[in-house]
Amino acid sequence: MSNLNHLETKDINVWFGERHVLRDVSLQFQNNHVTALIGPSGCGKSTFIRTLNRMHELIPSAGLSGQVLLNGQDIYAEAVDPVNVRIEIGMVFQKPNPFPTMTIQENILSGLKLSGRKIDNAEELVHTSLTRASMWNEVKDRLTEPALSLSGGQQQRLCIARSLAMNPNVLLMDEPCSALDPGSTRRIEETILELKENMTIVIVTHNMQQAQRVADSTAFFLAENGNPGEVVEFDTTENVFIRPKDERTNEYVNGRFG
Amino acid sequence: MTDTLSMPRPKNAAPWVNLGGRVRLASWVASIAPSAIFVAAWLGLQLDFMAALLTIFLPIQLAFGAWAGFYSYGRKGVNDGLLVVVTIFFSTFVLVLLGSVLWSVISEGAAALSPHFIYQNNRYITGTTGLELGGAGHAILGSIIITGITTLITVPLGVATAVYLTETRDGARGIVRTLLQALAGLPSVVAGLFIYSMLIVSGWSSQVGLMASLALIPLMLPTISRVAEESLRLVPTELRNGALALGAPSYKAFFMVTLPAAKTGIVTAILLGVARIIGETAPLILTAVIANETNVNPTAGGMATLPTYIYNFLYLGDATSLQRAWGAALVLLIFVGILFVGARIASATRVGTKPKRRKK
Repeated sequence: MSNLNHLETKDINVWFGERHVLRDVSLQFQNNHVTALIGPSGCGKSTFIRTLNRMHELIPSAGLSGQVLLNGQDIYAEAVDPVNVRIEIGMVFQKPNPFPTMTIQENILSGLKLSGRKIDNAEELVHTSLTRASMWNEVKDRLTEPALSLSGGQQQRLCIARSLAMNPNVLLMDEPCSALDPGSTRRIEETILELKENMTIVIVTHNMQQAQRVADSTAFFLAENGNPGEVVEFDTTENVFIRPKDERTNEYVNGRFG
Repeated sequence: MTDTLSMPRPKNAAPWVNLGGRVRLASWVASIAPSAIFVAAWLGLQLDFMAALLTIFLPIQLAFGAWAGFYSYGRKGVNDGLLVVVTIFFSTFVLVLLGSVLWSVISEGAAALSPHFIYQNNRYITGTTGLELGGAGHAILGSIIITGITTLITVPLGVATAVYLTETRDGARGIVRTLLQALAGLPSVVAGLFIYSMLIVSGWSSQVGLMASLALIPLMLPTISRVAEESLRLVPTELRNGALALGAPSYKAFFMVTLPAAKTGIVTAILLGVARIIGETAPLILTAVIANETNVNPTAGGMATLPTYIYNFLYLGDATSLQRAWGAALVLLIFVGILFVGARIASATRVGTKPKRRKK
């Protein structure tokens, strides 16, 4: 069982300056699983997902204790280079952020260039990455156009494809659909379901239906009355939404607060 | 109630444009009457133009503006009317000032301008030599060389400062920013004196073009670093994070993502910096002297520049000298004009620094 726990966290605590924002978060993310992180705004979901690939430490005043284990290795160990962590663990942000000065193709290859890896077969890589992000057919004739000529939904899928080109083992998605229309959202959800065959996916979402549609497991975060955010319930998505053990989870998933 | 005063509405008028008869009448009256009174007072009473403008025209125009606002919109329109008058009056004032400077340089300088004025130098030319001989060619070359060297040295320094201010979280940033602001207020003659006393009087160097370039560095640096800092700051954090999340080391994220996105702003910074120093006179007189011959070697001999050329002929003061000075001023103005147009073009051609959605 434990070798399935591709990525797991142990007692993650997070501070911004003096403010304690996350307390004792211990979660296991299984391989070939999609795990959704849900909870009201300000409960620390986004902060938490950023601790998983060491993007958290880029915020001034950020503090952290605990462990994040990738295949059993602590990514916060002293000898670990955050650059290598981010190569293994890809991330897609809330707002589509294709590089504006690059073409579609250059955006796909940018990860390899940025991390200083050699590009063996650029054409092949662009093709497979865009195919995995299910947008090859839309853009195959315009690979040399600026990335900003794409629509918002396409830009977000381009960002997914850009992460996939790095062939990460884990993909983190921080509310990837919150800026998109329902059609683009559906396309991205389909992509997520295809991608999980080969990787571990963690997704932050505000959309209950989306969590139910894509996630195998769900973690419910809550920060009450100025206390640090905590995981109230972590279980299979079905249990969290249909048979929640905690009354607060029940209230949240049924839309009674938050 | 039917509005009997209003005219038929033009088809191209936007719906929020008020074309009511009272408003139209009031604005016509408030526009024409003060000007008429002013012209009558100015010509009739033989008053000084500026004095009449400020003591007669402005108060009357303000009163009429306030009246027009009150007449059209009631009490709340009074301040509206006053503000309209104040903004139009002072912006016109500044535009007229600017226009008259441009006009005097162009009209006075055009007489001296000729092909040989651009390529001949000042050898054997005295204050009274006719305009058919001599030119500012040596000064144009000198300006290009001295400004060029300063730019080559200052651009890396200025951009590096901007990068330090935007990309790091170092504690000394506040001090650096304050010092830059102080440097921006540095009188140029002090910069010249500094180089003069430290490097020339001490015997380390003679008065050469290179010393002038060095003296101009502290004048150019604040302009470049502040404008570059602004343009780097405009690059969205999401882009930087996107690059870092792909496993980029900071320096690569900067060179491949942040810097290209801020490119147009940095080009603007450089051009503004050049425009800032190209007209400097005092430090150049101290460090590169006022030369009359063509010299393209910045390490030996004095080097002329357009500002010192102007200064020199203004100092001589003869009729043709003054014309030469105006001509050189026009050349300098054209130089700066080209730079500013260049800056506009450079900042307009590239995709913006913010991710805008463009649909084909």
